[in-house]
Amino acid sequence: MSYSGKSVKRLYDDKFVTGRSTYVDDLKINALYAAFVRSNYAHAVIKRVHKEDALKMSGVVTVYTGEELNRVIKEGIGPWTTYIDPRPWKIPKWRFAQGEVKYAGEPVAVVLATDKYRARDAAEAITVDYEPVDAVVSMEEAKKDKVLVHKELGTNYGYKNDFVAGNPEKALESADHRKKVEIGNRRLIPSPMEPRGIVASYDGSNLSVWYSTQIPHFARAEFSRIFGIPQSRIRVVMPDVGGGFGSKAHIIPEELAVIASSMMLGKPVRWTATRTEEMMATNSRHNVFRGEIGFNNDGTLVAINGTLEVELGAYLTYTEGIQPTIIPLMIPGPYRVRDLKIESRAIYTNTIPITMYRGASRPEATFIIERLMSTVADELKLDDVTVRERNLVREDQMPYTNPFGLKYDTGDYLTLLREGVKILEYNSMKEWARKEREKGKRVGVGLAYYLEICGFGPWEYAETRVTEDGGVIVAIGGTPHGQGTETAIAQLVADELQVPIERVKVIWGDSDAIPAGTGTYGSRTVSIAGSAAVTASRQVLEKMRRVAARAMKADVEEIEYKNGEFVHKREGKKMRWEEVSRLGYSGKEPGLSASVTLEGDVTFPYGIHMAIVEVDEYGMARVKEYRAYDDIGRVINPALAEGQIHGGGTQAVGQSLYELAVINENGQLAVTYADYYVPTAVESPKFKSYFAEKYHPSPYLTKTKGVGEAALIVGPAAIVRALEDATGGKFDFTPVIPEEILKKMK
Amino acid sequence: MKVEPDQKVRINVKVNGVLHEAEVEPRKLLVDFLRDDLGLTGTKVGCDTTTCGACTILLDGRSVKSCTLLAVQAHGREITTIEGLSSDSKLSPVQEAFKDNFALQCGFCTAGMIVQATFLLSQKKDMTEEEIRDSIHGNICRCTGYQNIVNAIMDASRRMKA
Amino acid sequence: MVRIPFKRLFLIIKMYPPQVGYFRPESLGEALEFLEREEAKVLAGGQSLIPMLKLRVLRPKYLVDIGGLKELSYIKEGDTISIGATTRHFELASRRIRGLEILQEAASKVGDVQVRNVGTIGGSVCNADPAADYPAVLTALDATMKVRSKKGTREVKAHDFFKGPFSVDLNPGEVLEEIRIPRLEGYSQTYRKVVRRAGDFALAGLALAIKLDSGVVKDVRIAFTGVSQGPHRAKEAEKVLRDSKLTKDVIKRASEASTSGANPPSDSRGSSWYRLEVMKRLLQTSLEVMANES
Repeated sequence: MSYSGKSVKRLYDDKFVTGRSTYVDDLKINALYAAFVRSNYAHAVIKRVHKEDALKMSGVVTVYTGEELNRVIKEGIGPWTTYIDPRPWKIPKWRFAQGEVKYAGEPVAVVLATDKYRARDAAEAITVDYEPVDAVVSMEEAKKDKVLVHKELGTNYGYKNDFVAGNPEKALESADHRKKVEIGNRRLIPSPMEPRGIVASYDGSNLSVWYSTQIPHFARAEFSRIFGIPQSRIRVVMPDVGGGFGSKAHIIPEELAVIASSMMLGKPVRWTATRTEEMMATNSRHNVFRGEIGFNNDGTLVAINGTLEVELGAYLTYTEGIQPTIIPLMIPGPYRVRDLKIESRAIYTNTIPITMYRGASRPEATFIIERLMSTVADELKLDDVTVRERNLVREDQMPYTNPFGLKYDTGDYLTLLREGVKILEYNSMKEWARKEREKGKRVGVGLAYYLEICGFGPWEYAETRVTEDGGVIVAIGGTPHGQGTETAIAQLVADELQVPIERVKVIWGDSDAIPAGTGTYGSRTVSIAGSAAVTASRQVLEKMRRVAARAMKADVEEIEYKNGEFVHKREGKKMRWEEVSRLGYSGKEPGLSASVTLEGDVTFPYGIHMAIVEVDEYGMARVKEYRAYDDIGRVINPALAEGQIHGGGTQAVGQSLYELAVINENGQLAVTYADYYVPTAVESPKFKSYFAEKYHPSPYLTKTKGVGEAALIVGPAAIVRALEDATGGKFDFTPVIPEEILKKMK
Repeated sequence: MKVEPDQKVRINVKVNGVLHEAEVEPRKLLVDFLRDDLGLTGTKVGCDTTTCGACTILLDGRSVKSCTLLAVQAHGREITTIEGLSSDSKLSPVQEAFKDNFALQCGFCTAGMIVQATFLLSQKKDMTEEEIRDSIHGNICRCTGYQNIVNAIMDASRRMKA
Repeated sequence: MVRIPFKRLFLIIKMYPPQVGYFRPESLGEALEFLEREEAKVLAGGQSLIPMLKLRVLRPKYLVDIGGLKELSYIKEGDTISIGATTRHFELASRRIRGLEILQEAASKVGDVQVRNVGTIGGSVCNADPAADYPAVLTALDATMKVRSKKGTREVKAHDFFKGPFSVDLNPGEVLEEIRIPRLEGYSQTYRKVVRRAGDFALAGLALAIKLDSGVVKDVRIAFTGVSQGPHRAKEAEKVLRDSKLTKDVIKRASEASTSGANPPSDSRGSSWYRLEVMKRLLQTSLEVMANES
């Protein structure tokens, strides 16, 4: 019996296909509805909030502003200190707006009403007197430090750090060629289909929060710090969560206001973001790399020297600090370049705060390094494969320590490149596209390579419990919200315990049921939560062997477990799994459970992805096909892994060609869901996804590496390269919009 | 039928075979009536611009976005929601096919997608991949990349013919 | 589907309509009666109106729901095709009308399946989104709008009916009852639409009908959507084409001339410059296809 390696069907799909799923807005709780009044100004002093008319309206319970809310919201939203060292940062205090608004869309008041329509009516009846002050809504302006987002910081720079390895100046001087480059990603919006939502209920001693989040346990810790309530008295529950992509791993003032209101009123309060509010809650990306590279005639890249600028928006969110600190480390990617200087800068502007998004810093780094590789290829008239062959870290260098000290665990990058070129039919597709172009069509093929850091420790929790009737409950600190990793973990546990998978139930996402945890992000769940679950299951099985030994009056060593039976090796006596389960709850040492808090580290999957792009006479580009060949370590459930390639690949299509969060000159988000172009089935490509059979394992017990982010990490570079092949133009910023394509079309 | 702005109106709507009589404000959106008044939360709200299709239901047999209709417009008409597609805990062919083809991840678009697919297959059994893609572009999925959804709809079509 | 004027894009967080009254008439007469007396907005399919209400861009006192009136839902074929105002997009999209094939093509490109299942031609026309599909088609085809009020009936040419963005020639108390389109037999017809993403409003759209006799253009109608305050009839391009053969040169000149008088907006779909480029290419491609077919 083996489940691992097979495309086992997802275990809990019935509720989704029958409409019995429960997302936070589906919870039937008698609660007040919150609605927010928001600033139209990017930067203004709040003179007065006129609540009177709203308070007279039927169904309106009260209206709070920052003055009231911030008595309860004691501390500000801060960076995710598990991954972000706050010391080099300049961090403004971020609570509910009080006295001043710093971005258009910032909430300035919350209405609490008995009905959501009336809450909205009342919010509309509130007028706010503002005194607009100078705002700085672009990163270029902000860099001048003339207009400051936060006076108390004395600068708009939130972070400045130079990442230096080797001697880039010298390497540039001795390189055969030098080239100036400018590469970046513009602002976009992660857009999970379920807008974020929260229900808070405070009973006088305990706070319960139902929350559309990827990180219930971290949220518990943050709420504890912010509201001054011990973690033990806070319960955070994630119901079904409709996608996150990293955007449901940060906390916004609206959510703090909901909790604060429930504490002040002593009543449950709920808020579900409208789509527009969701779009304002999470903006992502926006980074620019400007600098110079040095490379030799043979195509080896020898130096990178430049400045990386990352926009923060008005405040430092929980997750955005990751980007300026990890992008530089991953710019060398899978290549041998060792002389680099990356001046990393993070800049505040009077715009919607920015957060991480699927891949978080690795898509940015990969786009930069892959654009550099393609630049070298173009400059030397070499093909993309040759340039990469000449730069990849060789197998005999593994494990390889990159110039910034990251230790790449396992892999054979060159072999994967060569295999991938064959499997994806890169050369023949290139040739096909060339012929099509001769016939007048604009089609192109592009590839890109990636090396990804994922897993991200530091630990994860799991508990395995065998019930008296032989069932298995696996509680994990990981928090699947669409990936299907609960099924993969059930596969691992069923194999470990050699029981039918139907016996295994995986639970997660309730901080009272799962006392500790980190969560699902960074492509880590199967590796770290899976390994924790396997470890815990192993320990339970050990205990069951002891129980069986006791019952059969044998030494533990004499008991062998196989396929649901405990066998006395010498005497041939057997006990069934169910018998041992029942016995496990009688006599001495009752109970069959084990919990572990497993330490984990980073790991490095890698792969090659290829896109086929077609452009019409209007400059509208479509990705027709997307192919991927990845070494993600051991693959537990191929169909689930492929699903991640499909989904990430489609988001890569969006990032490359369609999705642009336009901030207008007033600092306002100038798109809605009707014209923020998340790809539909028409814009999405056909996918082919392959995984290396001779994989390179991670150090995790599961031997898995991770796949959740791969296609969005590498996809934009592959798609943009294909676009260049199709049009003959050069593109260094995502998204590439149709009129840019038209202008460069040959 | 005439209702003043501050009055409620009595409506009769048959939902999943059950006749419901209810009083609603004329401004109440059909999706809020289904979700908040009838507790049928299988139908989701994913946007506010008639873009995403998470709220797709069948109105007199045709798929519509229930966030862009008023409850009162459904007066005297018949509605099927995701909850009404399976009976006696037996899944419909479309529901089965979605499960078997890994056609969902986070599940939030799934109800709307399945209702839309059900409508399409009620109109035409044999659809090319292209036709399917062109007929579900009013339903946005952010997780799956659509390929498995398209496969599921083709699979459901085969099951319904078998 | 809704398209929000660019300037108003921000802070669209309303989501729920404001309080509004509702009247469901049994007949058109009853509707007109009500509209005469009350400050009301006509609701047909609601696919434009309800989004506007949700955004609280509109705040009528009453909605008059004519969506269920059977007497307004029909397609009558004669020399002129008469279409009742509440005829659903899907009905037009599933019916091929000889001499008016363009209508089926345009109807099948409105919004998405769900919107077409409930949205009406009259509703879309009266909403007069400057990037909507029908206005260009109706302008190119010189359609006539039959407008009813309690006082009587009047007829307005499409060209005059579309006054500007979201503005049509309808007075208080008036309802669009019927759209009449002359049958254009022997014309090659096409409606082409360039969108950023499937289901979106047109970045630019082209309605084209052309009658050729031995390769010579006898008559031609060209109207664009998405490129001006309302539908843009490209009279200059028509002039270039009339009585000419569809040579490469003529097509090129017509395409260049098509932008004369157009005043495309710049918005999230594309810049004014880009729209002008797309217009030219739309016409060029369409004419090339027709030249090849003839």
